[in-house]
Amino acid sequence: MSKKVTPWLDNLLQEIEGVEIRRKDSRRVRIDIAADSLPTLLELLRGRAGYVHLSAITCVDWIDDGQFELVYQLWSYESQSLVSAHIRIAREPGVYVSVFDLYQPAAFFERDIHEMFGVYFEGSPDMSKFILTEWNGPPPMRKEFDAEAWVNETFEWKDYQPDWLKEITEQGGGIVKTPEEARQKKP
Amino acid sequence: MRPENYQAISHPPSNEYELNFGPNHPGIEGNYALKVKLHGDVVVAARADGGYLHRGFEKLMEGRLWIQNIALVPRICVPDPVPMEVCYSMAVEALTDMEVPERAQWLRVLQLELSRIAAHLFTFGGHAATTGMYTTMYWGVADRDQVLDLFEEWTGGRVYHIYNIPGGVRRDMPAGFLDRVSRTMDYIESRLPDYDNLFFTNQVFVDRARDTGPMNQQQALEWGVTGPNLRATGLAFDVRRDDPYLVYDQIDFDIPTEAPGDAWARTLVRRQELKQSIHIVRQVVEKLPSVGGPVRTQIPNPLAWNVPAGETYTRVESSKGELGYYVVSDGGDKPHRVHVRGPSSMHAVQVLEQLAVGARLEDVAQIMFSLDACPPEVDR
Repeated sequence: MSKKVTPWLDNLLQEIEGVEIRRKDSRRVRIDIAADSLPTLLELLRGRAGYVHLSAITCVDWIDDGQFELVYQLWSYESQSLVSAHIRIAREPGVYVSVFDLYQPAAFFERDIHEMFGVYFEGSPDMSKFILTEWNGPPPMRKEFDAEAWVNETFEWKDYQPDWLKEITEQGGGIVKTPEEARQKKP
Repeated sequence: MRPENYQAISHPPSNEYELNFGPNHPGIEGNYALKVKLHGDVVVAARADGGYLHRGFEKLMEGRLWIQNIALVPRICVPDPVPMEVCYSMAVEALTDMEVPERAQWLRVLQLELSRIAAHLFTFGGHAATTGMYTTMYWGVADRDQVLDLFEEWTGGRVYHIYNIPGGVRRDMPAGFLDRVSRTMDYIESRLPDYDNLFFTNQVFVDRARDTGPMNQQQALEWGVTGPNLRATGLAFDVRRDDPYLVYDQIDFDIPTEAPGDAWARTLVRRQELKQSIHIVRQVVEKLPSVGGPVRTQIPNPLAWNVPAGETYTRVESSKGELGYYVVSDGGDKPHRVHVRGPSSMHAVQVLEQLAVGARLEDVAQIMFSLDACPPEVDR
């Protein structure tokens, strides 16, 4: 398999500047590339090397670096190898271009990343919410988002005291611990 | 159907109205909705609406230890949980350069194929129910239970096995277990002709499923379709053979394909895969006694296990298609990022939205079941 991968890799190296290629094994190749050059790379991979299947687009939040990493997993049915293309974009304002015109499945992944990380993809067909339709908080997959703190700020604890439970509690049963008590370790 | 019963009726004279198909609908494959716009009973537009299940697995995994996530991942797709455990374990093993003992690899293959059999029985049972053939569904669920009995005896859990862990599997199988596996396989195989007579060659099913929700190979490739749905368009691609993992390269099996790409072809591919999975299980049963040795590699103290920094993408062939895990470690005791690439995410959103258009309302459920989309994989 790896023999088939080599020629286009060599050609690619000559055509795009600033590419770092690492072969992980005979079927896995990692390419680190400048964000501006990624659409060109994908076009070459798709058009010349048969990487027609986009397995996934993943966003990784590197909050300490102030960057998002976008990872594109591409599979070639012909050479039976998987290329992962990695780019970094600035966390603010978190904007990148859509690759929907090259890969239709990108629409779903970009919509998901927009919803969960707040990255905006210019040219993507649909940037509306999919899962978090009644959500007004910040993008929840960002590293600074603290789910527990957000819940405590947004909602309030309420004692659950229906009438039927009161009777049981009077007899010594029922809910005996609050969530805070349950969380505290025994001394 | 009585349109006046629904609130969102558009204004005349367009004669078009919207209908929420699901999440509480017996014909939908879980907590999932499809908003369809209808003209008469023909769908003119469809929009997938997920999120009814969303439990935020990917975020939860960032807050849990590497080993704890093993208990979390099978929840992502309940009918087919084993590929989740195996794929996540493979990712952790890739990050830590950990070797999996050979016997554990064979045991994993056995688990994966039993899980595939259970999942396929469940899926075409559901598909049969959408065409009114409930007996097939009852049979499918009852026969699936035979496989779940095996899992219960083997791992203690019927659905969530928590059996495949980084480094191998938790323990070896009980004494005499392989005989019971063989007996169950004989039983399931003996049932296949019954299913053929009752369902697959049933004229009602054939008439309903032929030319329903068709897609050609070009469309399937454009839309990112994988698994049996892709093979139903004639492309013999299977991760098990074309990007092998575990010991699949030592196992002999065929990749069934069908050409038409409609609901009928997709279900027929699954029917043939059942036979192939039984074939694989028998090979494992034959091979396993001669494969000795341990079933897992010693892992560090799971409560203080810092996985080396790095990233990896592992993937397996689940019953629904390509399942992938992109896992990033920053060197800590918890994952920095886990992304689950569920096969259903493509099928249930983009593909379903396109295939439903032009179909009649009564066929929408059938198209969804023939795509075998697992809603929790979509909203994760």
